[in-house]
Amino acid sequence: MSLRVLRWTAAALVAAVFLAPLLWMFAGSFRETSALFRGGPWSWIGGDGWTWDNYGEAWRRGALGRASLNTLLQVAVIGGGGLFVNSMAAFAFARMRFAGREALFAAVVVFVILPVEVLAVPLFFTARDLGLTGGYTSAMAGLTLPFLAKAFNIYLLRQHFMALPTALEEAAVIDGAGAWRVFWNIALPAVRPALATVVLLDVLTHWSDFLWPLLVATREETRTVQIGLANLFTQPPVDWGAILACAVMATLPVLLSFRLLQRHLVLTDTGAGIK
Amino acid sequence: MSDWRRRQSRAAVWFLAPAGILLAVFVVWPLARSLWWSFHYADLLAPDGQPWAGGSHYSDLLRDPRFRRAFANTALFAVLVVPLQTTLAFFLALWVNRPEPAWRWLRVVFFLPTIVAMPVLAILWTMLYQPAQGDETGLINAMLGIVGVPAQAWLRDPLLALPAIAFMSIWQGTGLQMMVFLAGLQNVPRETLEAARVDGAGAWQRTRHVVVPAMRNSIVFVVTVTTILAFRLFVQPYLMTRGGPGNSTVSLVQTIYETTFLAQDLGRACAAAFLFLLLVGGLALVQRRLLREERA
Repeated sequence: MSLRVLRWTAAALVAAVFLAPLLWMFAGSFRETSALFRGGPWSWIGGDGWTWDNYGEAWRRGALGRASLNTLLQVAVIGGGGLFVNSMAAFAFARMRFAGREALFAAVVVFVILPVEVLAVPLFFTARDLGLTGGYTSAMAGLTLPFLAKAFNIYLLRQHFMALPTALEEAAVIDGAGAWRVFWNIALPAVRPALATVVLLDVLTHWSDFLWPLLVATREETRTVQIGLANLFTQPPVDWGAILACAVMATLPVLLSFRLLQRHLVLTDTGAGIK
Repeated sequence: MSDWRRRQSRAAVWFLAPAGILLAVFVVWPLARSLWWSFHYADLLAPDGQPWAGGSHYSDLLRDPRFRRAFANTALFAVLVVPLQTTLAFFLALWVNRPEPAWRWLRVVFFLPTIVAMPVLAILWTMLYQPAQGDETGLINAMLGIVGVPAQAWLRDPLLALPAIAFMSIWQGTGLQMMVFLAGLQNVPRETLEAARVDGAGAWQRTRHVVVPAMRNSIVFVVTVTTILAFRLFVQPYLMTRGGPGNSTVSLVQTIYETTFLAQDLGRACAAAFLFLLLVGGLALVQRRLLREERA
């Protein structure tokens, strides 16, 4: 019995360590800046100095309306378009026979470990040469196009396509289905959980993109949420309350998409699959 | 059926073309160009057509104190984060691997920091680490005050800044690894575990001799990925300390960024990026070897 109590106390304590920073962020977004760093450790829960103003200030100074739309668009294009492009390639690697398949796939595997940071600078020039920087449409294309095809996603989806039984595919082929029909009507629906995982990982990754938007989305109208937040933080006067409000607003959409896609999350093959 | 097999190689081209073209344009071509620039005196405003520099960018970098400091900092960060985070995530996974709903909630709590964007967390933790000034202080100093630990300058202390960034990164990344381990735990054979229990093996022995071997693949995956991610350290120091105080938190990626956009020395930046790539790739290979050989 006492062991049980001990276990629950430990659980509560560890949970508190993981939650406290995020709870402080949320509570702090409703506090006047002057009250944020004042008083004892528990002052952020009680006391005075509560306000709604941070949200208005953050929305205005971070140009959050536009920035949120930009980021949503960016994440939607990468998530949706990438899913299409990567699942097609993964399907070919998993279910089709063609010359040079092993060599091509080995090249894809090498790209999996290639860090974005190595590529960022030369990629910036490629994007500029292709006219993917500057104006609104160009910069949005620059934010999204380079990240549609992703080696890791091809790799992960291939694992799932390979696990499908051949019987399904054979039956469809006998009924006269072509490669596209097999892919679109049979294989894709069968790996839906993997698709959800890939989309969720893309949303999480690109929602927090920082280095790349810092390079290509430099104009005010192309700013993403994270850049807007960082600007609030680096350009004086620093209004801590507004920064926290902005941080909360930048977090809600990912929480929401996580909530929506969470049931489908499968990390099994990422864990067991890489050789 | 044979018709389908024959048509495949033609269909494969169309299935591979979109991803193939995108990868060629946005990965292969920039990489090739960057390798070329790393051997030339390329600069940001006029990258092409510059004179040959040989290996001078590479040798300069290896002698540059700031680059070396960045390397040391990044390595120290990885040494702090990889073992601590992996061990913590492993034991958290073992701990919350229970069916009752309460533990499922606990899993969500641990996972929560990993879905919040890193720039958000970097700024949030800058506030939590706020040093004491007059009657104002950050939450961490306030909490430590309860147990009698004196207030620290954290991010403004050259000795504490990097460990402070490492601590916040561990807090952020543990949840995702825990999820990978939870998935890996499904591979642990229940019968073996039960047999070990019957034979009188304690919790530690069961973990050491049954659970760990069964989860090899997950562990290798987590260690490799975490090492690569640790070496990619950028956002936290860039936003939290700008690499300071002194050079105490400057990271490899930050030096690449600065060499390009502040010094505008593209050739040198590309050389730095390739050294970085060699390092990360080499580490991944070495780890793979070591972790695999342990099995034999």
